[in-house]
Amino acid sequence: MTLASLDRISPRKGRLSHTTVFWMVFAVIMALLVIAPFVLPVFWLKFLTEILIWGLLAMSSDLLLGYTGLISFGHSVFFGLGMYGAAGALLHSHPANLWLAILCGLAGAGGAALFVAYFSTRLRDVYFAITTLIFAQIFYVIIFTWTSVTGGENGLIFSRPHFAIPFLVDFKFDRYTMHWFVLALVAGSYVLLRRITRSPFGMVLQSIRENEARTRAIGYPVDRYKIVAVMLSGLFAGLAGVLYAVQNEFAAPDFVFFITSGDTIIFNVMGGIGTLVGPIVGAGFFQLLRELLSRLFGDQFPYLIPVGMVFIVMIIFLPQGLMGWARRWLNQ
Amino acid sequence: MTEKWKDEAWAQDIWYSGKVTRRKLVGYGAGAIGAMMLVPAPWRAAFGAAKPYKIGSEQPLSGPGAIGGKTAVVGLQMSADRINANGGINGRPVQLVLVDDESKPDVGRRKSQKLVEEDDIDVHVGGFLSNICLACMPVWQEAKIVNMITVCLDTTLTTTHCNRYTFRLHDYAPAQAVAFGPLLAKMGKKWHIAYADYAWGQATRDAYAEEIKKNGGEVVGMTGIPLGTPDMTPFLSKISGNFDGLFSIFFGKDGVTIINQAYDLGLSKKYKMAGDGSITEPTNLPAQGSKVDGFVAINRYIPIFQGPLDTPYNKKFVEDAKKRLIAVDPSGPAPDKYVQSNYEALNAMKIAMEKAKFEGRKDTDKLIGALEGLEVKLGYDFPQGDKTLRKADHQAFLTEMIFEVRNGGYKLLEAVPKDKTLVPPACKFTA
Repeated sequence: MTLASLDRISPRKGRLSHTTVFWMVFAVIMALLVIAPFVLPVFWLKFLTEILIWGLLAMSSDLLLGYTGLISFGHSVFFGLGMYGAAGALLHSHPANLWLAILCGLAGAGGAALFVAYFSTRLRDVYFAITTLIFAQIFYVIIFTWTSVTGGENGLIFSRPHFAIPFLVDFKFDRYTMHWFVLALVAGSYVLLRRITRSPFGMVLQSIRENEARTRAIGYPVDRYKIVAVMLSGLFAGLAGVLYAVQNEFAAPDFVFFITSGDTIIFNVMGGIGTLVGPIVGAGFFQLLRELLSRLFGDQFPYLIPVGMVFIVMIIFLPQGLMGWARRWLNQ
Repeated sequence: MTEKWKDEAWAQDIWYSGKVTRRKLVGYGAGAIGAMMLVPAPWRAAFGAAKPYKIGSEQPLSGPGAIGGKTAVVGLQMSADRINANGGINGRPVQLVLVDDESKPDVGRRKSQKLVEEDDIDVHVGGFLSNICLACMPVWQEAKIVNMITVCLDTTLTTTHCNRYTFRLHDYAPAQAVAFGPLLAKMGKKWHIAYADYAWGQATRDAYAEEIKKNGGEVVGMTGIPLGTPDMTPFLSKISGNFDGLFSIFFGKDGVTIINQAYDLGLSKKYKMAGDGSITEPTNLPAQGSKVDGFVAINRYIPIFQGPLDTPYNKKFVEDAKKRLIAVDPSGPAPDKYVQSNYEALNAMKIAMEKAKFEGRKDTDKLIGALEGLEVKLGYDFPQGDKTLRKADHQAFLTEMIFEVRNGGYKLLEAVPKDKTLVPPACKFTA
């Protein structure tokens, strides 16, 4: 029985249950994010939208890292193939169709996730991480050199599609609607991932994280669970890739390079592994830190050095990440 | 050791009498910051209250492209300083707003948006890595800002991906291939092409293969080598057979690797060696040593005083650039094509801004009109020579230098006039 369900059964008199508090905080944050386009300057609004996208990627990785105990360096592939799938659909559909782009992006990421999962989930710990890293590099080299299809180093550029639902609405994205569209999908993904991690399936994943041998011994087909986890994680990462492509109107091989996976892990560590919200907070904190330091020191100063130092300090003093620290502070 | 100033009465008074309070420190700090804000910018003395033109420039100042990016900035800064020293543009000074794209397209894209939304730039002059140039093109188009590319070489920037806001004042591979084709045909009929196996290398390979065929030659084989391969021997050892010349398409440290390893494998003795001028940039020559002797290449600019480059304008340009390049590279290299193209791009922008009576972004259409078909002439602003910025695709055509590398220097073989480098436009402007 989960903590949340216990809360529902026996809320202490006069105090709100954890679940109620959670949804109230969620509603407040959503309201703030919804009104953000009316308050923030254009640059910072686009910045916030991008943070949401990176947050979705980090959150997808948390399903493996935080809930299943698998360190994946393959998320750059899922993100990149989501991006290239969407790019292919947008370049070849006339007029460019948003839903087709999402479908193709998810198909690309899901296909790659299935392929990577089939070979890598038989392995554990560092061997799993290395296998996903190798797959990431294989996909990167293919995309980098297959210029006739992927545009090679230059990538693909295309126009942003309209938001269209037949017979109902058809409008061109502007900065407001783009933000709300991304927000809706990221929030929906969060709710879905939260549901997944709290479902019996999610409990088995956490059991695998805690003790894979024992989980196998009590009869769970661990490999199958891990394959589904990698696929689900890959699909959400692919959705993040689609959103990035639609917002920025380009797809580039740089995103398929394993550095993107490394960034994703950094977002998780900074925000708090195994919290789902933490990776979004981590993505926001990292991007904001980088932007502010680049402004503080100027573009000709290697401002990534202080960013790295902050990261090291956080690992030493906040090993549970910002959300872990916030949780501890609230409990006090 | 105690420093002497600490014994002075005023220092004793401040530091050892308990007179430095937090309030005082904050007060002095605020005063100092305020004073710094009141210090006028360098151009203020000459231009009074005239609002500067903000010229945005996105360059790779960190990451793999950093060395080239810093060199490119030297050219831009030379031009901006010269413009400001000579009365500015339309009586207004020029202010460069540099951003570091970290050699990454996502960062480049975000920094470009910052230039547009926060820095409120009037025009953009820059762009070094082609993938970042391509990723940022929608930003300039959406904001309706003129984008003068200064280094990016990718052919599609002014062909399939062209747009009416983007211009390129330097050459591209198809024009170089047209210029080089006749001489290559004279050097040999059968060629093997070795190229950097990614977008630029492949596009350049196709352009040269076509021109070699057009001039009656034949390409008997092609070898793609992944970018950044430190040991090219496995690839080069497969290059053999009956052909006359090996044509190489590489840049940066790959240019050093191909020259050294082709020599070590005996390819340089067996075949005539030719290739893209990026292989033999001044920064690569010391590492290539005598192994590059006899290599024939094409480039829009090399720091020599021969043929059309033997002018007082080029001498002054090289002299000024060398003084500044020491700050970037202590060995004090001569300027390369990156310095030249950045320097000339901003100078061309100045001419067009004056012609269009450009005041700000609202005059972008007028500025585009002034840039389309712009003819610039050899002089202090354009030490490389005359140029024409074609209206149909916003691609410039200019004199191409074909040269041989010998004894650590360049010997000009032929200067191909711009009219003999023309390639039909392949661009349709959509907006």
